[in-house]
Amino acid sequence: MFAAENGLKGDPRLQGISEAIRVVPHFPKPGIMFQDITTLLLDHKAFKDTVDIFVDRYRDMDISVVAGVEARGFMFGPAIALAIGAKFVPLRKPRKLPGKVISEAYELEYGTDCLEMHVGAVERGERAIVIDDLVATGGTLSAAIRLLERSEAEVVECACVIGLREVKGQCRLNGKPLYILVEPRQIENCC
Amino acid sequence: MMRGSLLPRCSNSIFPPPPNSNRLRPPFLKRLPAPTAASSGAQSRLTFSQNYRTAPNRLRSSVSESQWKQDREMATGDEQQDPRIAGISSAIRVIPNFPKPGIMFQDITTMLLDTKAFKDTIDLFVERYRDKNISVVAGVEARGFIFGPPIALAIGAKFVPMRKPNKLPGEVISEEYSLEYGTDKMEMHVGAVEAGERALVIDDLIATGGTLCAAVKLLERVGVNVVECACVIELLGLKGRERLGDRPLFVLVNAT
Repeated sequence: MFAAENGLKGDPRLQGISEAIRVVPHFPKPGIMFQDITTLLLDHKAFKDTVDIFVDRYRDMDISVVAGVEARGFMFGPAIALAIGAKFVPLRKPRKLPGKVISEAYELEYGTDCLEMHVGAVERGERAIVIDDLVATGGTLSAAIRLLERSEAEVVECACVIGLREVKGQCRLNGKPLYILVEPRQIENCC
Repeated sequence: MMRGSLLPRCSNSIFPPPPNSNRLRPPFLKRLPAPTAASSGAQSRLTFSQNYRTAPNRLRSSVSESQWKQDREMATGDEQQDPRIAGISSAIRVIPNFPKPGIMFQDITTMLLDTKAFKDTIDLFVERYRDKNISVVAGVEARGFIFGPPIALAIGAKFVPMRKPNKLPGEVISEEYSLEYGTDKMEMHVGAVEAGERALVIDDLIATGGTLCAAVKLLERVGVNVVECACVIELLGLKGRERLGDRPLFVLVNAT
């Protein structure tokens, strides 16, 4: 599941990527140590390395769809899609996508939310990956997988820059493999 | 470097251009009236690219191809345009009456499904901005996040997301801007950019220019030089360009 166990052990790029991520304590609420990737986007080398690692992994896997979860999945997905020759499909919060959509509800800590995808964006049998910046409980990614599977695409893998503790040890989500570059930073090892 | 074939009337330098050199459409081009809510009701104004490979019967234009092409004039407006523009324009889908009646929504998601059109879009921006010492690409949430990062990566710049309120963690600065009814706010991280940096602001589309203007102001407040605003589409008739004042604006495609 983690890149370091999946052929990237000791890859110096992973350390640079991890160090470029900033931890913001108590956001969006007390007790949450928010993993902020915007500092990664300011570090051109680390950002490029992040995209390159995903591109190297997926370029020869016959992937024709990169689905990115709004909004931080939009920051990573398109560059990967362009590099591997795949389409980019945005998965969005309700009522953002114009025209016909399919929706999938998922659970939040309190209540539910919904993810939507355009009807016709993917075709039956297409091989897809799902991208987001971070996986925590896996609720959003699971909804994303269901949307793609309802359109009869094959979800090959879910890819995230950061994977939280809850997911550690689970190599799969909804039966789909997860590929994660780094663990969350702790406040002590963050500059 | 920018090609003459793309913008014959625009100087190759993106230092302050002479007045009106960034007007991409020659004044003699006839502009079709924007469809009214009444006229867009029964008649489908949906435009659809032949390149769109999925769900073939889902959206079909019932107006003639020449008519919808006139509605979406090419940014250069004449025979000298870059050949990639036509493919980009035809990959964009129009959804009538979204998000509310009377609005003809320019949907770029179909262009993202067309790998050639999407790549060409990014290439056109990259070709224009590489070697111009741009160190910041600021993208406006959320569709600016789709175009901005690939451009930033290709030209060696950082990507700075400009977001709706309460999304960015940590210290932010905000700029309020007006909507049709009421106001909204845009935020940027403190410390994301430094005074003196040269920046681009990217969004998928410019309409009234309110959002772009707010983004520009946020950057200018911290001493950044906004070299240009860049959009895939300019919606004509909404005075977006005027709202940006003398700040340069570059677009690939015009729409009415």
